[in-house]
Amino acid sequence: MQDLVNAVADMMEDEAMALTKKYVEQGVPALQIIDAYKDALSIIGKRFEECKYFVPELILAGEMMKAATEIIKPAMKGGQSNVEAPTLGRFLIGTVEGDIHDIGKDMVHMLMDINGFEVRDLGVDVPAQRFWDEYKEFQPDIIGMSGLLTLAFESMKQVADGLKAMGVRDKVKVIIGGGQMDEHACKYIGADAFATDAVAGVNICKKWVS
Amino acid sequence: MIAGWENMSSSQRQEAFLAKWASGEGIEFAGDEARASYQYRAGLIMDAVKLKKKPDRVPVVPLVTFAPIGLYGYSAKQAMYDPHILGKVCLDYTRDYDVDATSIPPMVMHGPALEVLGYHLYKWPGHGIKDEQGYQFVEKEYMKAEDYDHFIADPTDYWFRVWFPRTHSSLEPLAQMPPLYGTMELPMAAPWLCTLGAPPIQEAYKALLEAGRISFEWIQALGPYMGQILSSGYPMYAGSATKAPFDVLGDSFRGTTQLMMDLYRRPQKVLDAVDRLVPLMISLGVGGAVANNNPLVFIPLHKGADGFMSDEQFTKFYWPSLKKVIIGLAENGCMPCCFVEGGYNQRLEHLAEVPVGECAFIFDRTDMARAREILGGKSCIGGGFPVSLIMTGNAQQVEAETKKLLEAAAGDGGYILSIGCAMDEAREHTLKAFIQAGKKYGKY
Repeated sequence: MQDLVNAVADMMEDEAMALTKKYVEQGVPALQIIDAYKDALSIIGKRFEECKYFVPELILAGEMMKAATEIIKPAMKGGQSNVEAPTLGRFLIGTVEGDIHDIGKDMVHMLMDINGFEVRDLGVDVPAQRFWDEYKEFQPDIIGMSGLLTLAFESMKQVADGLKAMGVRDKVKVIIGGGQMDEHACKYIGADAFATDAVAGVNICKKWVS
Repeated sequence: MIAGWENMSSSQRQEAFLAKWASGEGIEFAGDEARASYQYRAGLIMDAVKLKKKPDRVPVVPLVTFAPIGLYGYSAKQAMYDPHILGKVCLDYTRDYDVDATSIPPMVMHGPALEVLGYHLYKWPGHGIKDEQGYQFVEKEYMKAEDYDHFIADPTDYWFRVWFPRTHSSLEPLAQMPPLYGTMELPMAAPWLCTLGAPPIQEAYKALLEAGRISFEWIQALGPYMGQILSSGYPMYAGSATKAPFDVLGDSFRGTTQLMMDLYRRPQKVLDAVDRLVPLMISLGVGGAVANNNPLVFIPLHKGADGFMSDEQFTKFYWPSLKKVIIGLAENGCMPCCFVEGGYNQRLEHLAEVPVGECAFIFDRTDMARAREILGGKSCIGGGFPVSLIMTGNAQQVEAETKKLLEAAAGDGGYILSIGCAMDEAREHTLKAFIQAGKKYGKY
């Protein structure tokens, strides 16, 4: 299915959708088609790192993934998913309390998912208490906090301080993301790393679990 | 009108308008000292934007939105619901922090008018967010893909009859209005006039009138405080605001997600739409500047930053229409002051295309030494100080970083010291340290 991989990787949306429909109709297993998308996303991620692709391509890739999932869904047998269970680790993400920005968070969600993490996305304007409660229930290996506004610094610090108070800070990695994040913010908040773009953040997470 | 205007070049018109603004003409100053202080401060900004070599010192202009409100112990909601709190806070902040120019108080806006309109383009304190927080944009696909042709053909008609109804719940009935054009002929005027009388449309116009009435009362209350800021000797940054056409589309109409995909799905529509916006964005900026007798036109740049698009996409979709707006503002004697959000490390060579001394660029995450290298002597630069240090650092760190920044970026003129973002929050000791360090180390 190299033609499908190439169509997705080269941002040829109409062709990618047509090929996806064709392969589903031909009875190609859902898992194989999803693997083709994963390969394409891997190429897209590399091109992003090489500064050939940027936000438009990540967004369009996400849309193609969503549309493809809708096309493939009916072909999934019985009630169980044919999709491979995530293996790399558990990732909890949310935009912190007071902040409603979500585009960067959504890109990270998609990339972490496609890279084999089990992702739980808490949405936006997430209070610290919800991060702590979800930590207890989901037991993530990594917590990602997103925020664009300066008030995010305090919200993120509150979450990190709470993890310390719970006695679990050393059991989980914390990464912060957003346009104003830097080493000063990272140190103040007590995070393990910061990222100002989605692909860089995902690469940090992959290194942590490897 | 300034004598000889018609025969002046863009640069000469800017100099004439800046000189008029910096003279303080039309302001009733509290005294001679206040007049002299105003002329000095505005003069520093004028010298910086016009690239005067070795002026007295670097002007210090931290950009603030809600920060002064919190610094004086009020909530954002209080400031958005009481013009006397807002006005007093802005006046006190300007004097106590002794900035060289202050931000425009009306930017904080007035909650009651928004409530009447059923405004939902932003959440604001008490409406979707906490009382302590400043307003936040709610970006959505307010303009559908099939709307491009209408938007391009007739932006005002689209704005009033389609966009208003989608962003202001009280104005939803305006979607039932026919376009204006039948009113050109008596026999054709009936549809417009009759629809105007329909009860839901009547209610929509009543909401608009009420929001206007509330806003008029609000500015009557706020205005005297702004007058006191000026008469005390402090200029305002800026006279008006406008936007890059691509950002108009990306922020308020298509939304980032949809517009970024439009670059692939319908590129020609994007190009036609941004081109259509150019004259409208120029006249928006010029109109406000002339009304306020202040040539500085604030232009926040959003979606063209490093990482948001490739150089090819920037060159094709973002830059040409913005450059036309910059040049158009300069032709009218205005000084475009772009606030370059995010990083522009990949874009500096494009910014260098602007005619010499006709535009200023205040930066956020851009490497300021590189900005000086590429734009020094071509355009005024500014900013580059990390807001994270104001929020999480101490006074010593702030002083050291300010000194370092000035050494890298102030050059021999053409620099405005500012912080990399317009602050919703700040801390007194670090912000004061920033301003004091700027004046101490910013002498040429």
